[in-house]
Amino acid sequence: MSRRHDRRYVEIANLTKAYPNPFGKDIEVVKDFNMIMRKGEIVSVIGHSGCGKSTVLTMVAGLNPISSGSLAVEGREVSGPGPDRAVVFQSPCLLPWMSTFENVMLGVKQCYPHGTKKERREICEYYLNLVGLADSMNRYPREMSGGMQQRVGIARAIALKPQVLLLDEPFGRLDSLTRMDLQDVILDILDREKITTMVITHDVDEAIYMSDRICMMTNGPEATVGQILDVPFKRPRQRQDVLDDPHYYDFRFALIAFLEKQEHAKDSHVAAVKERLNAPEKAESEVVSV
Amino acid sequence: MLWRGLENEPSLFVFSFKSMSVMSKDDSKMDSVKYGLLKLIDVSGFKVFDPVVRLCFREEPGKQVGEIVRYMVIPIIFVAFCIGAWAVIAPRHKTKAGRVPDPSQVLSALSVNHTLHVRENEKEADFNALDSRREDRIASVEVTLKEKETEEVELKKKLAEVEVACQAEIDQRLAPLNARLEKLRTSHKEAADARKSEIVTLSEKVVAETAAEDELTALMASDVKLKDEAKEKEKRVKELIEDVKSNPPKNLKRTQLAYNGLAIEIAHLKKRLDYLGKSNRGEKVAVAKADLAKKEEKLKAADEPAGLLAAAKSVVRSEEKVDRIASQSYPRGTTIWFQVWRSLFTVFIGFIMAALVAIPFGIMCGLNRVVMACLTPIISIFKPVSPVVWLLIFQIVVGAFFPNPETHPFFVMMSNIPWVSSLKVNPAMVYSACTVAMCAVWPALVNTALGVSSIDQDHLNVAKVLKLGLWQRLVKIVIPSSLPLVFAGLRISLGVGWMVLIAAEALSGSEGLGKYVWDQYQNGGSMSFANIIFACFVVGIIGFFLDRMMIILQRSVSFDDGAAVV
Repeated sequence: MSRRHDRRYVEIANLTKAYPNPFGKDIEVVKDFNMIMRKGEIVSVIGHSGCGKSTVLTMVAGLNPISSGSLAVEGREVSGPGPDRAVVFQSPCLLPWMSTFENVMLGVKQCYPHGTKKERREICEYYLNLVGLADSMNRYPREMSGGMQQRVGIARAIALKPQVLLLDEPFGRLDSLTRMDLQDVILDILDREKITTMVITHDVDEAIYMSDRICMMTNGPEATVGQILDVPFKRPRQRQDVLDDPHYYDFRFALIAFLEKQEHAKDSHVAAVKERLNAPEKAESEVVSV
Repeated sequence: MLWRGLENEPSLFVFSFKSMSVMSKDDSKMDSVKYGLLKLIDVSGFKVFDPVVRLCFREEPGKQVGEIVRYMVIPIIFVAFCIGAWAVIAPRHKTKAGRVPDPSQVLSALSVNHTLHVRENEKEADFNALDSRREDRIASVEVTLKEKETEEVELKKKLAEVEVACQAEIDQRLAPLNARLEKLRTSHKEAADARKSEIVTLSEKVVAETAAEDELTALMASDVKLKDEAKEKEKRVKELIEDVKSNPPKNLKRTQLAYNGLAIEIAHLKKRLDYLGKSNRGEKVAVAKADLAKKEEKLKAADEPAGLLAAAKSVVRSEEKVDRIASQSYPRGTTIWFQVWRSLFTVFIGFIMAALVAIPFGIMCGLNRVVMACLTPIISIFKPVSPVVWLLIFQIVVGAFFPNPETHPFFVMMSNIPWVSSLKVNPAMVYSACTVAMCAVWPALVNTALGVSSIDQDHLNVAKVLKLGLWQRLVKIVIPSSLPLVFAGLRISLGVGWMVLIAAEALSGSEGLGKYVWDQYQNGGSMSFANIIFACFVVGIIGFFLDRMMIILQRSVSFDDGAAVV
């Protein structure tokens, strides 16, 4: 049965988020976002800060109600949050009163309600081992660095055996060395587990290295899919191979060109939308760092 | 120039750093002890002792000494100054209950109260003593009694001597005052007589119409005024005389006190002998049993039905008597430490009642805005109500549940619980505990609601993604994350409860520190004012330690604090 949906594993159709505007029409932050993901595919969503990337992800996760449009996983429409769509947030979001092991166990208990204590324990240990935290199972979040905490967050998400893994700028708060480490950790796991993944990022290199396809979003309001770029590098990937590939810089150039165009188009776009809405709008700031 | 000056610094820094690292290698074990101690101090909230510990481990002695001087020595000097001011000012203020007691009197109140407690303990042990232990006790008490009695004879002699010696001193001090009083009296009398004759002559003149009536009334008025003034002067001298009389020389006072103390001790020893002898429980039981044996013999000897019946009846009665005496306990007088225990017990019962109500309702308030909206008017109206009002309401409302407290199953149950039975749970205690609960519930409730409603959104998202059920969400996320604020609320509650309890006990007459203060105020003995101030310190010190206990609890449950590890 599942084979039938492999090519259209996740279907996002006309996803729209509108916030009420007391002085005019609703403000549509994201409008008609469409995306179809194959099973096991890694898709990056890239765009300027504040363009609505995270809004898309939280809607897919079910943490943010969808204004209109629909979302289907494996041919079935889903709404509301659930462990089938695990999320790794930008901040690790660990529960500070629980040890690493207990944090992972919290999710495992929910997803394997019929497993025995020993089985659950083994699952937790397996995933903590995968992210390289076999030695830190009994430590508390406050005793660990940000990178280690994020590893726990990743282990917790993957231990749920989700159908879709949603990563919301998972490395945004880490230094670049830790970030590269964690990218490899995640790619390694994803190659093994073949989980369909959506990564929100604003790092061009990260997007190219990690994903099979890159979805470039236009600037908000009314942000939507601007362009989609296929990254045909084979998996598993080696960072050096990817960097050495002659196409790497083409991809990079394409992405940056798109983002720069968005930057220039921004002012006129915002003005146009404002005019249409006849309402004041918060100016978008922050320039993307490449 | 400036640049060059700065250049020198790094080398200095490296030097000091090196010397430090060498040191730490030598006593790494000492370091762990040191940091353990520092953490303990931090957790228990006694931050003041931090530099003391650091000084003991020779960490930057100069700095630590500075800190100790600033934050320990100066405050101690200040407190000492306050006590000194108290000692100087207090005796100058005369009240109906005597002079305001000074620190030494309050300190002696401590020892007096403690002695009372110890003596009650002795008498209780005497009452319960049996067989060989009883005999040992009798022997030792008799020995001390004999010693004390010889001591008493000597002291009596000494007291008589001192009295004679002091009488001379007192007389000497009184003589000039008495002379002064006498002189004043005669001079006043003379003046009054002179005025009187003046008035008489004037009145005659008025009759003869050589003087006006106005003059006469004016003269009368001035006469009254002068008389009053004379009385006032005499009164002042009389007061001085009284003062000399009521303040015997220190020597005499001390001997008198010692003699009184000894007399009381002898009386106590005699009472002990009584409890070891005739009033001892074992002794009383033995007497009752002998009586029973006699009755049983009579029963056996009886040969006619009427006599048999009467004998059987009296046997049953004496059996009952034996049982009753055997289950008697010593009728303890209330002492300060018993009252402290009872107050602590009451406040904890009230506090636990408050917590049991406040935490669940607080959680509900924090989770659901409708519940919050429902409870807000209730909280805001009842929070400011005075404990006195609550006490009266509870006396009426809760009192209705036990019309006959002696036979009510709750109190019967309480008197059968080992530890609690000695505290003598009674309705007054229940009212006090309810009052404490009523006043302590609000801070805990409000803080719990605040803690629950301010949970990190990220943590709630985790719960959403994991689809945790209500119970799991409560246990794993809501309660742990709100615990620090819950405990902060409980800490305030306990403080409020302790404060309210003293007033409630005083008003409801429930044995405890509050009643102690109230009784002291009512009985007006020579020590009672000192006892009240002593109780004030006891209440304060216990309140302080209760607060510290809650701080430690609060620290140990707050997850984001490293101190929680200790």
